[in-house]
Amino acid sequence: MPSDVQPVSPDAVPAKPFAVRKARTRFFGLTFDECIRVFFGGNAFVAVIVLALITFFLFREGSAFFGQNRESLRVYRQAGLEYIDIIRQQEADHTALTRYLFAIRMKVVATLREERGAVIQADLEAAKNAVQQLAGAEGGATSTTLVSARARLAEAQKADAALGASINGELAVFDTFAERYSDTVLPVRGLVSDLGEIATGIKSRYIENEDYKVARSQFIQAGKQGEADAIQLREIDFKTEVAAITGILPAYQQINGEFTAALQETVRELPVLPVASLQPRLDRFKVLTQDYVAMFPGIEARLKAWDPLTPVTWSKSFSSFIFGREWLTASFWQDWYGVVPLFVGSLVISLIALIIAVPLGVCAAIYINQVAGPREQKLVKPAIEFISAIPSVVLGFFGIAVLGQTLRALSQFESLSWIPGFPYSERLNALTAGVLLALIAVPTIFTLAEDAINNVPRAFKEASFALGASRLQTIVRIVVPAALSGIVSAVLLGLGRVMGETMVVLLCAGNRIAIPDFTAGLAVAVQPVHTMTGIIAQEMGEVARGGIHYRALFVVGLVLFFIALLLNYLAQKIVRKYRISVG
Amino acid sequence: MSTPAHPFASRPTAGRKFENATFWFFRVATYIILLAGLAVFGDIILKGSSTVFGAFKSTEHFPYVTNTFLSEAPETLYVFEDGGVKREMGDTEYRAYRESRIASALAAGEPAPQFKSESYVYSAGGIWPCIVGTVLLVVGSMAIALTLGVASAIFLSEYAKDGAFVRFVRLAILNLAGVPSIVFGLFGFGMFVIFFDWNVSLLAGWFTLAFMVLPVVITASEEALKAVPQGFREGSLALGATKWQTIRSNVLPYALPGILTSSILGIARVAGETAPIMFTAAYVVRDKLPWDVEKVSDFFFQGVMALPYHIYVVSSKIPQNEYTSRVQYGTAFVFLGIVALIALASILLRNNLRGRYKW
Amino acid sequence: MVTTTSSRTPLSSPMETPADTPASRTFKVSSVPSEDDRADTLIEIKDFDFYYGTKQALFDINLKLDDKRVTAFIGPSGCGKSTLLRCLNRMNDLIDGTRITRGGVKVRGVDIYGRDVDSIELRKRVGMVFQKSNPFPKSIYENIVYGLRIQGVKSKARLDEVVEKSLRGAALWDEVKDRLHESGLSLSGGQQQRLCIARTIAVEPEVILMDEPCSALDPIATAKVEELIHELKKQFTIIIVTHSMQQAARCSDKTAFFYMGKLIEYADTRTIFMNPANAQTEAYVSGRFG
Repeated sequence: MPSDVQPVSPDAVPAKPFAVRKARTRFFGLTFDECIRVFFGGNAFVAVIVLALITFFLFREGSAFFGQNRESLRVYRQAGLEYIDIIRQQEADHTALTRYLFAIRMKVVATLREERGAVIQADLEAAKNAVQQLAGAEGGATSTTLVSARARLAEAQKADAALGASINGELAVFDTFAERYSDTVLPVRGLVSDLGEIATGIKSRYIENEDYKVARSQFIQAGKQGEADAIQLREIDFKTEVAAITGILPAYQQINGEFTAALQETVRELPVLPVASLQPRLDRFKVLTQDYVAMFPGIEARLKAWDPLTPVTWSKSFSSFIFGREWLTASFWQDWYGVVPLFVGSLVISLIALIIAVPLGVCAAIYINQVAGPREQKLVKPAIEFISAIPSVVLGFFGIAVLGQTLRALSQFESLSWIPGFPYSERLNALTAGVLLALIAVPTIFTLAEDAINNVPRAFKEASFALGASRLQTIVRIVVPAALSGIVSAVLLGLGRVMGETMVVLLCAGNRIAIPDFTAGLAVAVQPVHTMTGIIAQEMGEVARGGIHYRALFVVGLVLFFIALLLNYLAQKIVRKYRISVG
Repeated sequence: MSTPAHPFASRPTAGRKFENATFWFFRVATYIILLAGLAVFGDIILKGSSTVFGAFKSTEHFPYVTNTFLSEAPETLYVFEDGGVKREMGDTEYRAYRESRIASALAAGEPAPQFKSESYVYSAGGIWPCIVGTVLLVVGSMAIALTLGVASAIFLSEYAKDGAFVRFVRLAILNLAGVPSIVFGLFGFGMFVIFFDWNVSLLAGWFTLAFMVLPVVITASEEALKAVPQGFREGSLALGATKWQTIRSNVLPYALPGILTSSILGIARVAGETAPIMFTAAYVVRDKLPWDVEKVSDFFFQGVMALPYHIYVVSSKIPQNEYTSRVQYGTAFVFLGIVALIALASILLRNNLRGRYKW
Repeated sequence: MVTTTSSRTPLSSPMETPADTPASRTFKVSSVPSEDDRADTLIEIKDFDFYYGTKQALFDINLKLDDKRVTAFIGPSGCGKSTLLRCLNRMNDLIDGTRITRGGVKVRGVDIYGRDVDSIELRKRVGMVFQKSNPFPKSIYENIVYGLRIQGVKSKARLDEVVEKSLRGAALWDEVKDRLHESGLSLSGGQQQRLCIARTIAVEPEVILMDEPCSALDPIATAKVEELIHELKKQFTIIIVTHSMQQAARCSDKTAFFYMGKLIEYADTRTIFMNPANAQTEAYVSGRFG
């Protein structure tokens, strides 16, 4: 009852001073509350610090790579390896031409067999089947029929062999030609191998000497002067050493002259192929050879102009990483750290994963948000999110243990041979890894895309329905366009996850360090590749700390880091730029 | 020609059929995803559960039943023939068996039997040290991540005013979330293992994993803090409470369940990652269990075996065959089971919590 | 501690020329206290300009509020009455981007935006009751003693005494005395709001700000709160923002009418409702707009 309210603050002291002045303990000029604020702020700043530290340590460990790589390239040049590689390239080009010849031969044989051997082939197959059937049906067939079937098989095999022999006979002229052609390079090859020994000798002595130098300085630092003095340093004078290599130029020129003459002599008279339709290929081969020969003066000029003392520029060191097409380590000749094969491998796998994951993820997002009933929604949504809980190493194991074989077996079905690249024999390849990564990307893409679709204002949809549009029309014309920026950024973030994923690619991508052969068209998907993340995980544990290889791996990490930041930035930018503003 | 009864009657037009077909297509896409997930789970559960459930053995004393797969360390598996019988044995058992056979043969005056054995590393025994290592890694890194993450979230949701600093922090968190886990591994290796000279150790793994999961924890905690009604704060402040008093007594207690449940998702991530611990904390094999240390400080500076890394090792470093698949699938089953349970708990609790806390 | 530097404009800052806001000048005369005013001035608002970000919310407010009286702020939605109320105990400090560009507020002659004023101390003296009742999800008892606990009061006897006193003061004692340890959220809406009032008076403030305290309540609960306000004004200065003109007429001694962030008219409640000086006020109180 209001009447028996007791006065809470009695009126007796009306002139209580209005004390609202600050009178608090201060630490370093901050009140207790401000201290707490600073503490929490400091914690939040940890995120910034971590990001900065990541950048710093990647740079710290990686930055010295470019110096070391420059040094490595310098030795490569000064020891004459670069000089020899010019000639080696010439030799490799010749080998490629020989392979071209061989490809022509294969084609000829295949064509001839197809033309003449159809009957023989059919006989052979039939006989084989008959023998198999009879042998399989135990006791069902009398031994005489089996014997006769076997005899038929033997006959068919004989006929087949005879056909092979006759084809080989017809190709005898061609084979002699091919052999002569491939032998022309032998003097050059011999020269390269002799020079190679000299150059690797110089290089290894140089490296040995450098190691001694390090050991010596360590002794001196440890105060063991005597032991330091005991180490004999043999400085390598590259200029004089390399003269032994460059000195062969006249000899090379002579060999080259002979080589040229031999090549031209060989291709003057082309053999006639038993298959006339393939003759143009041989003509083309002649043109290729002439082009090849025409390059020789250029090679000689390059050799003449080559100077071991030309300094290796920083940009050379840099570009040999960024644009280097070879990642070759622990090589007796020269180590190359080119990121391109790894980057391309990552890219191929990511594209495969996205090609699978984007349609699935986006369709599922549309279905769950727009079509499915509430109960289905309630079940399926957490289920898809739950898939993201599968640890990637388990997925990788699944790829090795199950998916690799399954996909390969699938590829060997004849009815599927129309798919590019099918059938294939490598169990672990970009496709296997890509399919598994798709499973990793799907929940990310699904969740974010579903969010984006969910954020499309109801009013848009209602307006569309009110105009008589069907559900599908509303989805295609209103909902998806309105959510497009969200979907695109979902795809970018999915790409980020896939690019950064390590364990699946390490276990399932096949780990062959080479730029995949894009001339194979879409079949590139079934080639084994290696990736940026995979190479770090695979090689980091085995490299010497502080070595060039170690640092190269950190630079790869740096590249990954910046790719991740870039994708993140793009995703945010797209979302921010195209965000629908309502109200 | 039958005309519809009224102009609004539903007609099966081509457009309608097309719409239905499209929706079916979408539905199929959705269920393909679920099937793919199911295939992975199913395969591993089917082939892995027998390893785990087949490893129960009765013991003489309490608790009378033990699971050798879960409680023993990995051993090398020996496959050999003796007396026409093919036998598979773990390292210790094999040695003992050989000794006894040779001894008995010598006693009987026969020539010592020769065993031609094939060996497969890690394929016998169990995964106990890996389970221990994973638990230690998760507990330590989550402790660090929760401390840092909750404090950051309190700052962002309670103290921060929109400004350059906060935008900067948020940007950093967002970007940190996108950094690949292998880069965290490299960073941890460069900073903790080499620069701080902690070597491959629990401590290095803790910090690496904690930093990796930090964005998840911060986002989850901030969401939970934001869910506490503004009225709680205003009511407290209007009574003359300081900011910190308000947060401590009137915000944190109500946000805590949300923070913890959402952070379970972080646990699943920490437990599931391999790349960050590969060079910072994980050993391929280690005989001692983590608590067999001489000094307390050694505890923090020792590497451990961990489930995800063990799966990587057994699936890539040993051949795939009938003898090795037991341990491969068994490990994958246990690991997947643990992570999936954590994730399931997180999803269920989160949904439950969202329904329960309506202020 | 949350204080924005920009909001610390001292009252003594040089006044701007009064020519810039002619509209409000016209009604300045109405803020002169009426003839039956025997109360002391407790709060003095002078030349007060207030911004949310770049949007000006209050324009040149000049107002003197009396001690131990009930003052009502009325006006249509978005007229700035709640904003002004929240300025009186610096609750607006908690919102990003708010700033005071001119003028200030004095309580008992102390500039509450002064550099040396602690907003925490201020809020202990100027309590607030919110539009939506916001009891903490604690027991009724804990709700009441919360303010004392954070001031460090530990004595159980003292806390018990304050709980009873405050609940009696808020006319809630009889209804809840048997279930003091139940959750504050178990009470009905009107009881919750009175609990919030009890919570506020437990810390013995001088001023209680009420921001539409009855807008979420049914008529019976509203009547109880209004009755309570009547009792409370014996000990407290009450400033109440309300949407309901009847409520302002029923429980306030003085009424200020705001429109578009400007103080249009301030006078005895009777005057405002019976004989307003301004056409806009008249239109509003007679229900022709707003």
